[in-house]
Amino acid sequence: MIMTEPARRKAPQPADEPEKASPAEPVTTEEMELVGRARKGDLSAYDELVRRYQQRIYATVYHMTANHEDANDLAQEAFIKAFQALRSFKGGSSFYTWIYRIAVNKTINFLKQRRNKAQMSLDDFDFNAEHDPDLVALISDKTPRRDVALAELQEKLNAAMQRLSEPHRLVVTLHDVQGLSHEEAAKIMGCNIGTVRSRLFYARQQLQAYLSDYLK
Amino acid sequence: MSMSEDTENFEQLRRLLVLKRYEQPPPRYFNDFSAQVIRRIKAGEKGERGDIFERLFDEAPWLQRIWAAFETKPILAGVLGMAVCGFLIGGMFYSDTTEVPPFALMPGVETARGAQASMAVADHPLLIKPVVLQQPSSTSPITAAQTDALLLGDLAKLRSGTIPASFSFPGGN
Repeated sequence: MIMTEPARRKAPQPADEPEKASPAEPVTTEEMELVGRARKGDLSAYDELVRRYQQRIYATVYHMTANHEDANDLAQEAFIKAFQALRSFKGGSSFYTWIYRIAVNKTINFLKQRRNKAQMSLDDFDFNAEHDPDLVALISDKTPRRDVALAELQEKLNAAMQRLSEPHRLVVTLHDVQGLSHEEAAKIMGCNIGTVRSRLFYARQQLQAYLSDYLK
Repeated sequence: MSMSEDTENFEQLRRLLVLKRYEQPPPRYFNDFSAQVIRRIKAGEKGERGDIFERLFDEAPWLQRIWAAFETKPILAGVLGMAVCGFLIGGMFYSDTTEVPPFALMPGVETARGAQASMAVADHPLLIKPVVLQQPSSTSPITAAQTDALLLGDLAKLRSGTIPASFSFPGGN
């Protein structure tokens, strides 16, 4: 059963779900120093900042677009735009949250323009995927279609993600895929934690319906 | 569906979603990523035009929303285009049906047609009467005789009003 949007707001929230440990690094004086130097035009300092966050920014954009080339362009453009806008960065949030928001806004704008022209270009699995006990169990034991290949499952999963609206896809990406806490996701999305929780609940219901063949 | 079943199912879903964490870009992809970003910053890769539009969009988010609306709903752009075309065609049609006499484009000089149209205005005592020129043509050159007559008349006036000059030199003879 998929709940409608108003019903979803009244739904019991999965309050027993533990908050995840934040993968974000705490804002250090070193980082603030790097930001200060980059603001003055020091590209070596900015290079260091890019190296710190490139993987997470790329991954977020990739999971939103399901396209490696688009993710590459958008992630690079997000860092370029951030450099150009560094003067407007007041330090009210961490650089990490700020760059995330730039990347997310850029990606959502891109997706709005790309609508109906989506084409997946998926990254390959890391070697460790085949050895993940959870995934092995999911594929070999619990899936009725035992012949399903990992690649097929990946394609179905990405196709299901692409069927979600951008805010719902974003919240699943940030929380369930990237492991950010509700609070961090709320900061990046510019909404409150309650909205994050309700969007997450609705998005999971949708995904569950789309992927029901693989979850029984 | 009970809450515990629901959570359990979400747990399965979450385990499935973990699969996405294993999706990785080509090996050594990130080795060159930051270098590419820095190169693009140095080169100012984005052209002037792109910069101007981006700044414009940043400063006026409503413009970006309109642009996005046009891109996602081309019918809106079509309607706007048709409205602009209709306005232009209407303007052209209106200007053809309304005649405005070419008053005083050249002060003091008018064509015969213009003079007819502005007769009432020209008769006003406070206004300088314009010199009426005939339409120039190869058989009727522009008022050459009239101009000559004026010049001769002026010469006669000058002659009649001439006072002979007399010079006296101090201590002279």
